[in-house]
Amino acid sequence: MARNLRNIIALVLFCSLVASASLFADEFTKEDLKKWNKQFMSVVKEGDVLFHSSKLGTNTVSCDMCHPNATNTHPETYPKFQKQLGKVVALRDMINWCIQNPLEGEPLKFDDPKMIALEAYITYERAGKPLAPGKH
Amino acid sequence: MKTKNKKAAEGLVMAFDVDPRRKVMKKKMSRRSFLKRSAVAAAAATLPLGLVEISWGQSDKRNFTFAYISDSHLTHIKGANFVRNFDKGLKKAVTECNFMSPKPDFVVYGGDLAQLGKREELDHGLEIMSRLRHPVKWVIGEHDYYLDLGQYWQEKIGRLYYSFDHKGVHFVVLNSILTYDSWINKWKSPQERMSNMARLDNPHGSPFMVGDKQIQWMKQDLSKVSRQTPVVVMSHSPLYKIFKPWNFWTDDAEKVQAVLKKFDKVTVLHGHVHQILYNQIGNISFEAMMSTSWPWPYPVSYIKKANQVPRLTVMMNRADPFHERDATGWSILNLDDGRVTNHYKLWENKDRILKYDKKLGYPIDMEYQAPATRIPPQMHY
Amino acid sequence: MKGFGMIVATVAVSLCFSTCLGWAGQVLPLGLPPVPVPGDNPQGPEKIALGKKLFMDERFSADGTISCSTCHIQKKAFTDGLPIAKGIKGLEGTRNSPTVVNAAYYKEQFWDGRVASLEEQAKGPFVNPVEHGLKDFKPIIEIIKKDPDYPSMFRKAFGIEPQGITIDHVVKAIASFERTVISGDSPFDRYMYGRQKSAMSEAAIRGLQVFRTKGRCQDCHRIEQTSATFTDNKYHNLGVGFSLVEPELFDIVEKVKKAKKAGIELDGSILGSKKVSELGRFVVTLDLEDIGRFKTPTLRNVAVTGPYMHDGSIETLEEVIDLYDQGGEDNPMLDSGIRPLRLTDQEKADLVEFLKALTSPEYENKK
Repeated sequence: MARNLRNIIALVLFCSLVASASLFADEFTKEDLKKWNKQFMSVVKEGDVLFHSSKLGTNTVSCDMCHPNATNTHPETYPKFQKQLGKVVALRDMINWCIQNPLEGEPLKFDDPKMIALEAYITYERAGKPLAPGKH
Repeated sequence: MKTKNKKAAEGLVMAFDVDPRRKVMKKKMSRRSFLKRSAVAAAAATLPLGLVEISWGQSDKRNFTFAYISDSHLTHIKGANFVRNFDKGLKKAVTECNFMSPKPDFVVYGGDLAQLGKREELDHGLEIMSRLRHPVKWVIGEHDYYLDLGQYWQEKIGRLYYSFDHKGVHFVVLNSILTYDSWINKWKSPQERMSNMARLDNPHGSPFMVGDKQIQWMKQDLSKVSRQTPVVVMSHSPLYKIFKPWNFWTDDAEKVQAVLKKFDKVTVLHGHVHQILYNQIGNISFEAMMSTSWPWPYPVSYIKKANQVPRLTVMMNRADPFHERDATGWSILNLDDGRVTNHYKLWENKDRILKYDKKLGYPIDMEYQAPATRIPPQMHY
Repeated sequence: MKGFGMIVATVAVSLCFSTCLGWAGQVLPLGLPPVPVPGDNPQGPEKIALGKKLFMDERFSADGTISCSTCHIQKKAFTDGLPIAKGIKGLEGTRNSPTVVNAAYYKEQFWDGRVASLEEQAKGPFVNPVEHGLKDFKPIIEIIKKDPDYPSMFRKAFGIEPQGITIDHVVKAIASFERTVISGDSPFDRYMYGRQKSAMSEAAIRGLQVFRTKGRCQDCHRIEQTSATFTDNKYHNLGVGFSLVEPELFDIVEKVKKAKKAGIELDGSILGSKKVSELGRFVVTLDLEDIGRFKTPTLRNVAVTGPYMHDGSIETLEEVIDLYDQGGEDNPMLDSGIRPLRLTDQEKADLVEFLKALTSPEYENKK
């Protein structure tokens, strides 16, 4: 009898735990969205600054000189075959190619916050364009 | 045998004419069979420099040729170091222009010789341009102007706007990159003002204008010119409205165009946009010159803002950034019966030719105007 | 799920089928795309055997000592190991003999691309005064007709009788043979396309990365996702040998334009005059931009096909890399893809190791 009662109590406790857990997991609020968007936009802004900076490379050339408002970067087409690299690559590979070549600078590591920022700005300027991976 | 071989290896003509080891059949070729035999396509759009002189009639002395080099953006880094890429572009244009035979009557420099208006940059550009074997007519660009408001330019080069006549054509040179005094005066330093004007996509930019003073001067200057006289206006920025966010724009374009309305044949030549762009508005043909330094995307590529890129334009081939000279170049222009034929010397690409079509009443690309003739590299998105 | 798996399997098999087989019977070496074959000269075993015999035949020259294989020696990866090719009586031309190996992938032949096919290329050396030295093709046809074996070989290859044999049949057979002179399956191919991580050394793997990025080799010397020809089939000016013509550039250009208008034959003048030769592709197109431009050669088997450049002026791979590292030989017409690279010694050494990994097994140790 005591054992049965114990089992029932355990079961009830377990169920309530599960129920309460589901109350927290996916329930993000409007405030959360605002906060996360603000954090995202701060990285976009950082990318905007880097994109227009004469210090990203070593010869004062900045990305926006050939890509005003990040045009002609076509982030929606990646991954794609990139002629200059001879293989299918992601956007960040081409960002590094540009830093090394027209900007004569050092490539960024893929987890460098600068790389994330650049990608954020480039894709943000192209927001709304449907994905077209592989498109040349 | 060895003497003969040595002889043949010396001067060119010797090897062709007197090589005793073989009889070379020297035929007098007609121009048509020559074109057939050579690897060069006979299409007008691919005429190499050497053949250009044949195709344009020299019978009318009012026909003449001039060259157009523009937007070199020479950039000073430090000391005697300039950005190598942009130096190379201008040097290449000067070298090729010197090869022109017959020589052009003059060369127009279309503006933006410097990148940040520095004396080092202007001096460096003047030194390179001095190697040209032909006289130069200068047009100022915003990158030359906004550091010192044109002071050094006027000191070293000349007036910011002027006119001249050449073989029956009236040329007008404008300073079309002026802007509102309030914007000019708001910056803490000339350098800050210059770098804000230098950034193409600057949200704190200010639109270009010709201004009432110049428009007045234009009216007066043109009052002495007859309606039938061909008029060519040369300015740095386009004298019509294409895309305001990047200052492919003239705020008082309509006023300027109104002054030109009464003339039969008007062509506006401009730089600034670093791309092939052409349009016809009323009686005026507008044609953009290439940059020697780098290409710009077409405004259609910025999906967040509306644009007015002329539908008439057949776009240049997309640039391959590996080859620095791709989508850069200069132009050879021929004035024939008051109309311009614009031969774009496109580096690393097949040349393009724009010719004014009398029947249609606007300039067309001689190879690619019809949509069915377009090629994939012309697709910009 | 099962249906999907079937689709994937079918696609994989058919892809394999189309990429691995050239013409029926020939299996493509690893890393090569299908060999382009013109419609008017299909491959066939009899034609190929005939072409090989013609390729080796020394009688097709003014003094009976020069065959195609004189300058394109099979044992030397179809080159001659000389800076400049030597023809009859030791006469020197002006250019380095390119390898025949993988030449089938070029859209145009010769360093300046003056002909558009292997067939057309084969004609040139026969009648060039510093190569085979014949005045015209007649002696070749005569020898063929009188030979005990050729008539039946031509009959089998082309279905043609001796009196109908022309130089076009001869060069078609030679070209067909050359289309089988292809090689892949190098350590690079096995690493890249065979996915064998251990096929290349660590240094060569680093060298491949330099090749793609800082070395700026990729783009002219192309590697692609599923195969690599190491050429873009385009023409570029590195400035090598350009100093010979630069002082008198304007005059020489004018002379060439005049001469071409007067109908001067190309082949003889290019190999007969060093100055004409240095103008490169300009002599073919008369386009000023083509001055000093030469075709991007394949890098396959580069380690065993020296000396290098159109004039054979560079002996070692290390010196080639030094040339690129300094930004070529500066001149007004320098290709806009060429610039100083600032490679470290390690990067240079790694690049050399990578280039050595492009040698196919059948040409390894052939120097």
